[in-house]
Amino acid sequence: MAHAAQVGLQDATSPIMEELITFHDHALMIIFLICFLVLYALFLTLTTKLTNTNISDAQEMETVWTILPAIILVLIALPSLRILYMTDEVNDPSLTIKSIGHQWYWTYEYTDYGGLIFNSYMLPPLFLEPGDLRLLDVDNRMVLPIEAPIRMMITSQDVLHSWAVPTLGLKTDAIPGRLNQTTFTATRPGVYYGQCSEICGANHSFMPIVLELIPLKIFEMGPVFTL
Amino acid sequence: MLATRVFSLVGKRAISTSVCVRAHESVVKSEDFSLPAYMDRRDHPLPEVAHVKHLSASQKALKEKEKASWSSLSMDEKVESLCFLLHKCGFGEKWLNVAEEGAADLCACKWLSSLPPVYRIKFKESFAEMNRGSNEWKTVVGGAMFFIGFTALVIMWQKHYVYGPLPQSFDKEWVAKQTKRMLDMKVNPIQGLASKWDYEKNEWKK
Repeated sequence: MAHAAQVGLQDATSPIMEELITFHDHALMIIFLICFLVLYALFLTLTTKLTNTNISDAQEMETVWTILPAIILVLIALPSLRILYMTDEVNDPSLTIKSIGHQWYWTYEYTDYGGLIFNSYMLPPLFLEPGDLRLLDVDNRMVLPIEAPIRMMITSQDVLHSWAVPTLGLKTDAIPGRLNQTTFTATRPGVYYGQCSEICGANHSFMPIVLELIPLKIFEMGPVFTL
Repeated sequence: MLATRVFSLVGKRAISTSVCVRAHESVVKSEDFSLPAYMDRRDHPLPEVAHVKHLSASQKALKEKEKASWSSLSMDEKVESLCFLLHKCGFGEKWLNVAEEGAADLCACKWLSSLPPVYRIKFKESFAEMNRGSNEWKTVVGGAMFFIGFTALVIMWQKHYVYGPLPQSFDKEWVAKQTKRMLDMKVNPIQGLASKWDYEKNEWKK
């Protein structure tokens, strides 16, 4: 989860997110360089003493400032596409979970090895204990094992929602009548938070997602499968 | 007088040229934009018309003398003659598109401290005069700071009369318990929150 007034990305909990953070740093550096160059050119324009307005025919410069941006774009595109294809790699998930968006809660279905289906509502303010995370904590968390590829099938029962967990680099739209798939592998145990990321009505800000990642041994003991 | 001073602070060309004309000597209002006009512009060093349209008697006399051989001019008159000055600076008959300190300025600086009357016939202001800075920035900065201050007052009023109380989770004890919980959960342990906590000494890292 983010701390108050956090501006940057959260630390990665999956290998894909680690790649995304590196890519973000790379793209941001290019952006800073370009912005700095433009600001410098603007500053020169505003403080020059030169007044010749009849300059034309600068073919060499025109060539350079066409080719150079093309090269920069290629330098951004290559890592971007690499990560895009990385997310679609075949990785044989150990577990498949369905996540269904409603107004205004999520339903999680663990139907691989049994029939566990439950709803996950945000804790209302009156139900919070001191120290709880307002607007983030839920009554029933989604419990998962670490270091296992997990497949999420995401859909919606009514309007558009979006299932997002930033620290895992996940955001997938929940579209009624459609099944969207995303996969991830968590590398660290812990509790990870996300919020609905597609406007879905009055309580759009009040249907968070909470994942509790635990070691596989403990997961296998079956705390999840108690109804 | 006070009205003129106020106009000079408030009157900007963006609002009203007529107001500016009254306040500043250098601002000129054009009657007909299709006629050649005089203008003091850094990127237009040689305006279409001279500044003074109707020469006085002494100015006319000087002009006549300039037409004859320059050796007949006295030193003072040489200095006063614009054509002589320009020639001395190497510009000769050709008018060049010089932006940096007008030719007359260069020569004038060399031989004179003030510009000769012949210069003033042709030009209203020298390059140095037309490029001078002004105190406008003080008005702009002061005005901006004033309105920012006024906005602060508005925000204070809003906080007191409009907004409701903050949620419980902003109480100091709640935030402390919450932070402890986040540290126990090891939230962002690589570069974020938990990475700044020393788990052995049970305190924030120095």
